[in-house]
Amino acid sequence: MRSYMKKPVGMLKFKKAADVGLTYALLILVGIIFVFPCLWLVLASFSKTGSLYSFDGFFPPDYSLDSFKTLFTDTAMYNYPQWFLNTLLVASMSCIIGTLLVILTAYTISRFEFKARKPLMKITLVLGMFPSFMGMTAVYILMTQFNMINNHWGLILIYSAGAPMGYLVQKGFFDTIPNSIYEAARIDGATNARVFCKITLPLSKPIIVYTALTSFAWPWSDFILPKLLLKERDMYTTAVGLMSLPETEFARFAAGAIFIAVPIVVLYFCLIKYMINGMTAGAVKQ
Amino acid sequence: MKIKTIALATCLVMLFCLAALAVTACDFSDLRQYYSTETFTKFDGEIERNVTIRVLENDTAISVGYFDELLDAFNEAYAEYGITAVDANMDSYTDLALDGPFGYGPDVLYQANDVLMEFAADKHVLPLPVEEMECYQYIPEAAWDAYEANIEGGIYTCGVPVNIQAPMLYYRKDLLPEDWETTYDDNANGIPDMVESWNALYRYSQKIRSETPDKYGYMKSLSDSYFALGYLFSYGGYVFGDNNTNARDIGIAAGQAEIGARIIQQLASVMNMETVDDSITLNSYSRLGDGTYFATMTTPDVYTMFIREMEADYTRRGYSASEAAAMAEENLVMTDVPTLPVNGDLEDDDAEQMGMTVMGGVNGYAISSYTKAPKACLAFVEFATSYEMVMLRNEYLGIAPARSDVAAELGGLSERLFEKLDAGEIVVMPSISAVGQLWDPLATMFGDIAEDAFRDEPKYPTLEALKRELQDTADGIYSAIFTLQ
Amino acid sequence: MENKAVDTGSAGKSPAVFFGKVRDKLRAKIRGAAESVRTFFRTANSNTFASMCFMGAGQLMYKQWAKGLIYLGIEVLFIVLMALWGGEAIYGFFTLGLVRGDPWTGVEGDNSVVMLLMGILAWFVLIAFVCTYFANIKDCYRTQQDVAAGKCPAKFLDEAKGLLDKKFYKTVLFLPVVGVLVFNVLPIVFMIFVAFTDYGGETVPPELVSWVGLDNFEKLVALADIADSFFKILGWNILWAVLSTFINYFLGLGLALLLNKKCVKGKAFWRAFPVLAYAVPGFITLLGFKFMLSYGGPINQLIIEHGGEAIGFLGRDAKWMARFIGIAVNAWMSVPTTMLLATGILSNMNTDLYEAAKIDGAGAWKQFTRITLPFVVFSTTPVLISQFISNFNNFGIFYFLRGGLTLDGYFEASDTDLLINWLYNLSIDNNYYSIGAAISLVIFVITSVISLAVYVRSSAYKREDMFR
Repeated sequence: MRSYMKKPVGMLKFKKAADVGLTYALLILVGIIFVFPCLWLVLASFSKTGSLYSFDGFFPPDYSLDSFKTLFTDTAMYNYPQWFLNTLLVASMSCIIGTLLVILTAYTISRFEFKARKPLMKITLVLGMFPSFMGMTAVYILMTQFNMINNHWGLILIYSAGAPMGYLVQKGFFDTIPNSIYEAARIDGATNARVFCKITLPLSKPIIVYTALTSFAWPWSDFILPKLLLKERDMYTTAVGLMSLPETEFARFAAGAIFIAVPIVVLYFCLIKYMINGMTAGAVKQ
Repeated sequence: MKIKTIALATCLVMLFCLAALAVTACDFSDLRQYYSTETFTKFDGEIERNVTIRVLENDTAISVGYFDELLDAFNEAYAEYGITAVDANMDSYTDLALDGPFGYGPDVLYQANDVLMEFAADKHVLPLPVEEMECYQYIPEAAWDAYEANIEGGIYTCGVPVNIQAPMLYYRKDLLPEDWETTYDDNANGIPDMVESWNALYRYSQKIRSETPDKYGYMKSLSDSYFALGYLFSYGGYVFGDNNTNARDIGIAAGQAEIGARIIQQLASVMNMETVDDSITLNSYSRLGDGTYFATMTTPDVYTMFIREMEADYTRRGYSASEAAAMAEENLVMTDVPTLPVNGDLEDDDAEQMGMTVMGGVNGYAISSYTKAPKACLAFVEFATSYEMVMLRNEYLGIAPARSDVAAELGGLSERLFEKLDAGEIVVMPSISAVGQLWDPLATMFGDIAEDAFRDEPKYPTLEALKRELQDTADGIYSAIFTLQ
Repeated sequence: MENKAVDTGSAGKSPAVFFGKVRDKLRAKIRGAAESVRTFFRTANSNTFASMCFMGAGQLMYKQWAKGLIYLGIEVLFIVLMALWGGEAIYGFFTLGLVRGDPWTGVEGDNSVVMLLMGILAWFVLIAFVCTYFANIKDCYRTQQDVAAGKCPAKFLDEAKGLLDKKFYKTVLFLPVVGVLVFNVLPIVFMIFVAFTDYGGETVPPELVSWVGLDNFEKLVALADIADSFFKILGWNILWAVLSTFINYFLGLGLALLLNKKCVKGKAFWRAFPVLAYAVPGFITLLGFKFMLSYGGPINQLIIEHGGEAIGFLGRDAKWMARFIGIAVNAWMSVPTTMLLATGILSNMNTDLYEAAKIDGAGAWKQFTRITLPFVVFSTTPVLISQFISNFNNFGIFYFLRGGLTLDGYFEASDTDLLINWLYNLSIDNNYYSIGAAISLVIFVITSVISLAVYVRSSAYKREDMFR
């Protein structure tokens, strides 16, 4: 402690400047690592020839907006606007229902003491170990029996129903909220349902944002399940649709990929406000 | 007390029911019933009226507009019966075995013979009364064979051939040396030697590589089994024994197939590492288009892809759209595959030549067993394989027809392919279900053999080593098919 | 009670002692259960027995109309359901079909696979009913005891209110549990049963499937090829899961800490880069990376331009390079998720602790190891485990990057394939569903025992309220 205090001020300043410099250098490096493949994809979507292999090194020789134009106008075989709407429906509905279910499940498991609690926790853990595609046949047959093939609500049902399996992260979050807050409310006579709505929810914005993002992103980019359940081309989600494009249509593929990445990026920038709010809420509470 | 007895009795009855259920878990095989196929009557009687049939076509046929024409023509012809054919609007690789039984599959499908016949093995597509069809006499025996299956002791034909798929050599005429007529036409037949024999093509590729390192002669992904198998076939190899029907006899190492494997190594040496994975398959369109490659080998149905890329290249170099189109048409040549040396050495310029046997396929129509209107489907297939429609298909897609009358009318390459199929120079892809086990091991093996050309220490320096590798792969395929059965 | 069981039964003691304890415990449990059943039959009154005959009858006799009618309704519904569908479905579960269909002649026939699945579903319904039946008896018995103690039978409205308060968890968990049961547990149970049938290969509908007992497991042991590949792949799979989980975790945490530093201005801006990566759908990323690393891809083009030789990053001989690339690509895809999560958790931390630490003169490193790390590790152990699981079963990476390779020494697999890829090759590509199911059952047992053991020992599980 003493020696730390005794250090000359100039040395400290230098150390701090070096620290800041190093921090930014690292940030820039991280930024490049993450942005470069994305940038490459963006530029590829503007490629004029449409073929990936006519590129000179990483980047296409000529640029044009053609692939975006064909993406939205040439809908006879590959109806991208329709796919986009389908995906939007599926992802947003599964996001809403799934988030609700996950948050509730995590909250309950974290806050309530009941006999089935620990067994439930163990069982969900074990269930997650099972390779999911091994059950795909069963899911498919189940959906044929419920007449849910070629139906977006069938997909939404499966995504939402499976979401509570991933409650662990959220439970970990709820575990860190101090008990004292709840006890105060309970003394005021609030029911558990009320406590959840009035106290837990406002405190959990960061984790809700996180949950919403993940449960939106999964249906948004999954293609195994929609591929299995959606047979008609017009019913496809973008991921299935893009995968069905012939390999020579890479520019169109890239353009479509960018368009499905856009909503997630936009979502993030809209939700970041809440995340920061959530952070400050987390910082002041005790 | 009385109610207590009843309660206990209820519990006992419940327990008993459960026990009874458990006991019934014995062998039920005696109760099982089987039906023979003799009562097959789906195509008898009057044609269905007022039905809609869903047809699954090939993507290219849809995108170039042929399919719309076909549907319109059919719907007009069958308007009096109220039959409408529509686009099934599904992925062209849809799995009939999965979707069909639940009613989600198409009614009529257009596919390659190996795909269709895998469905036929489990009776997912119907056997057709082909002898009664108009096209029967025009289609050669070899094409019909591709659709024949031995199911429960009977021989059935489960599809109708439409066109022949076989490898073709594509090259750019403008990249030939200017004086080829004097320097590269030893037999003076007006055809450049380098597109006539593999030896000459090999030499020419070597020349291009040494003079202009960023240009290539012949380029093709050698790991693509569909094309690479031809080299093995030409020297005695085969896929399955008994005319591709006996999966227990895998013959990729039979005869002198290792000589074919060495040709693959030699060809790889005039290319680059891209031949090892499927890079070239994807980039050949644009690279042939911009003149980086002189020649490649692929199926006839992608002709338009090359034309598109060449036009793009010409426009980039400042030609007008119509000039570019004309030049592309003029300079792209699709021709028969070159001849191979009998001794199997591409370096031996004086080697005696022989025709190359290639692997091919026969694409055609089949009818789903789960269709509600089999007779209407049959009418559609009949219509789509008629002379006019196959002719139209060729106009739109440049396919090689399986019908002899159309082939004769078109002449040229279409007729040549037809003859080759008839003469057995095209080995049709096996139609048994074991064929699904071939592709991954074969692609791995061919890639490995081709990669040898770039290794400092070759893995397969001798013919014996190659033979051993072929035999190992054959054994691997055998165990993949039979280990778990 | 649960914790104790784990503590006393933990490793380090000889198995004989362990099993002896388990046996004693089981014995005590059975004795206790028998005792309570005896007490029940001695003390239960006619109302409770009425509930045993007809669900809800006892409740009605206590004038609990709404509840009694609901129970009765459930029983009627169940009987109707069983008569119309369930009985046949359960019968079908045993027979797996009697009539072989023939699509050619149009004989409908039985679809064994559908019958198996529907049979399991019917079992689920049956089990749910039996549970409700016992709940009904228990409920009536409790009312009987309440009345005997001089209390009024509980009012329906009060009980309904309880579902929003004390029993809130029941209300909340009902939907998730049903959903998970139908869409996650049912398929898994289905696959477990498939391991005991001959489904696959030639035996797929319309062919009838039969029960074969342990044949598939015998095959696994008997076939040297398969056992050999299994252990090779298992070894790499475990290494992969451990390595990639730790790499992703610490990179994500490091990134979050970096962004959390006071000196970083415009946090949202910097955070946007990883999120950008996170926003691109996984399969697109993987196809992109595969292309970049292919022989004709841009990286090799650059290498050749600079006079090098093309490198087969993902080629046949690139065993460790391909494995390393897999780990790196996986990190690229997963680090943003961990980072977001860690950011959320860090924001939830008590800053007072740091202030206190600063006053005590603890340096940055000490602050990290003493405060940040324990807190983060504590609240993310479950995440670590779930990430370990998802990495263990990470299908996409090598399916997209290096799919379609079958190498020497492996049965239908390559040296980068994980067990899940191998299973996919066997069961989806090659149709060997029953063998695939048997292998996945074996893997499932191994992995779930390991992760359960780790989980139960983790502080996050034992001391959930550490930071409350």
